[in-house]
Amino acid sequence: MNDVSSMNRRRFMTLTGSTLAMLGGGHAFAQGQQGRLRIDPTEFQPIPIAISNFVPGSPSDGDVGNGVTQVITNNLKRSGLFAPIDQAAFIERISNIDVAPQFQNWKTINAQALVTGRMTRQQDGRLKAEFRLWDVISGQQLAGQQYFTSPEYWRRIAHIISDQIYERMTGEKGYFDSRVVFVDETGPKERRVKRLAMMDQDGANVRYLTRGSDLVLTPRFSPNSQEITYMEFGQGDPKVYLFNIETGQREIVGNFPGMTFAPRFSPDGQRVIMSLQQGGNSNLFVMDLRSRSTTRLTDTPAIDTSPSYSPDGTRICFESDRGGRSQIYVMAAGGGQAQRISFSKDDTNATYSTPVWSPKGDYIAFTRQGGGQFSIGVMKPDGSGERLLTSGYHNEGPTFSPNGRVLMFFRDPGGSGGPSLFSVDISGRNELKVPTPGFASDPAWSPLLSSTPG
Amino acid sequence: MKVNVDKTLVASIALHVLVLGWGLVTFSSKAFVAEESLPIDIISTDQLAQMMSGQKTGKKEEPKPKVEKIAEAKPEEDAVGKVTEKKELIKTNSTPEPPPKPAEKPVEKKPEPPKPVAEAKPKEEPKPQEKKPDPAKEDPIAELQKKLETKKPPPKPVEQKVAAVQPQQQPKPKERSFDPAQIQRDLDKRAATRHELTGTALNASASLGSATGTAVANVATWRGAFQGAVKRCFTPTYNGQDADQYEADIDIPMKIDGSLASEPIVVAVRGPSRSIAQAVAESAKRAIVQCQVYSFMPKQQYESWKLIPMTFGLKDML
Repeated sequence: MNDVSSMNRRRFMTLTGSTLAMLGGGHAFAQGQQGRLRIDPTEFQPIPIAISNFVPGSPSDGDVGNGVTQVITNNLKRSGLFAPIDQAAFIERISNIDVAPQFQNWKTINAQALVTGRMTRQQDGRLKAEFRLWDVISGQQLAGQQYFTSPEYWRRIAHIISDQIYERMTGEKGYFDSRVVFVDETGPKERRVKRLAMMDQDGANVRYLTRGSDLVLTPRFSPNSQEITYMEFGQGDPKVYLFNIETGQREIVGNFPGMTFAPRFSPDGQRVIMSLQQGGNSNLFVMDLRSRSTTRLTDTPAIDTSPSYSPDGTRICFESDRGGRSQIYVMAAGGGQAQRISFSKDDTNATYSTPVWSPKGDYIAFTRQGGGQFSIGVMKPDGSGERLLTSGYHNEGPTFSPNGRVLMFFRDPGGSGGPSLFSVDISGRNELKVPTPGFASDPAWSPLLSSTPG
Repeated sequence: MKVNVDKTLVASIALHVLVLGWGLVTFSSKAFVAEESLPIDIISTDQLAQMMSGQKTGKKEEPKPKVEKIAEAKPEEDAVGKVTEKKELIKTNSTPEPPPKPAEKPVEKKPEPPKPVAEAKPKEEPKPQEKKPDPAKEDPIAELQKKLETKKPPPKPVEQKVAAVQPQQQPKPKERSFDPAQIQRDLDKRAATRHELTGTALNASASLGSATGTAVANVATWRGAFQGAVKRCFTPTYNGQDADQYEADIDIPMKIDGSLASEPIVVAVRGPSRSIAQAVAESAKRAIVQCQVYSFMPKQQYESWKLIPMTFGLKDML
């Protein structure tokens, strides 16, 4: 009997297998029934692009022309979406950007797009930058702009041109004309000096914003002004500060009795949301920067912290250990019922922290701790589609590029060394070290500068 | 009654029924529309040669093989028995493998070999004028043969005898000697002939022949090849959320030489972000233009790919 039943089962298995195979085959055939040939690329390939040296408008403009070319090339290459072609392979030298290039010369080296440009010092001392983006295949001009600026801002012009190229070719907004604020760390491990620093997203133009006498943590950019909010250990309790990049002025946010930390701006820049320590617990508060009025958002006997607004300002994600371990929750911007969204599939002891909502709204990035590793990952705001982008001894503090396409975070290899900044595409590809003068942690990406006034 | 019901078997059957039932319901609504199938025939070298046949005098632009006579239904018979096969080269006293035919079919013995036709239909015989001797006539060997033939009696009767007898003869070792007459005898003395060109449809113009034979009738081949060729150049950049929702429908007008007749036409783009969808479409257009010329496209089937409708998606990205 047993033998028979096992035989039967095996036969059933075989039958089911072949039936499923048939159905699978049928499915494959059914796909072709729409009558259209279908192509889905299986692997990602960067766009081959040729960036010719920007032509100097006068003999003295050669250096700035080459500099702009280099910045654009570096930006596009680091994005991972473009493969700039080595200039040594160029067949044609662009000497006049007002005549159409010989596209055959660029097709031969497999370029899909070509960038040409010119830098000219004007009579009034300003710098004129012109560029054209050509579709090599169709021979059409895709973009063409000219900008005027002070000569010292030539790098910014190069970033703006990079953004134009990126946007025209990918359909997504660029992120090159942006800055990163971070905590610069120098000195030996036991007496580390931590200063607030700011640089262009490519690591250039580093500026130090604080002297390093006090410990600073968690700097965050305002979405629409030249302000940063951060936490600083001063004389008394650690407090959340507001810092104006242009004027250097700073002020304490709110007048709370205890420690305030983990601040972040609302998407309209009018409010700052943060944690306030009350005994062994902490709760979320929001302060209106104009009226200076504060509102309590959570009231739990747990640690609620790291709040981050959705880009439309209607919801907040934050971390809380109200369930026993640190997990990510989402609730309405005005407070109320919170819903847990982080659920580890493989490791029930894993914890999730430092959630940050993408400026595009499509993902929430987080730090995940589990199995002795710190990982950086993304999930959809409903908790689905979790994807870990990098794992290791210590990775923490993700921040989104202004277009939501790239994450920057810091990594500490352990030992006597210190942390460094890294960036990674939200697909998990193209992990790169971000150049900084020394050790660096706690990065926060600014919005696009061109989108902020001043 | 000691029916020992195995619970696992019951569960297994129930599950299988469930899965199969689900499969039937899920998949049965979709019509089973296969892509044009690829007919597979096992063909002989002769058939292959006929499919690809052409004339040296033909024109390149004329891809269809010349056909002077519509082929009749081919009887499925052994090719060996066909009488219209070109006769074996007959030699007077050399020792080749003897052709068995003369002995078996004495009625066919004629000074002139039968006019060769594809299928050896007797009715072809009375119309010798039909043959087109043009290429063969210029054959210098044939010319020489004719001159030599005038001096000699028709060798046919001898040939027949020798041919018929030879199977029984043991080859005898022979003295090697130079005999010009032997060379002459070894020559192929048959009149230059050729088969009528048959096919399914008459075509008067000569053709150089086809490199692909009847493979041109296969639709599956060009579809796959075209997809693969365009895919090589397609480099979309988006692989974020909802990448699978981005699609661009593009119609590609083609010329018969495999190049584009005009710019690819974007029929529709889909996806949550209009600008990204547009970028996908442009990336696809660049790919189509960059990867031309698609010279492998079968010209005989031009009507079927004059306009190629395609969909470019990002389903499998990441």
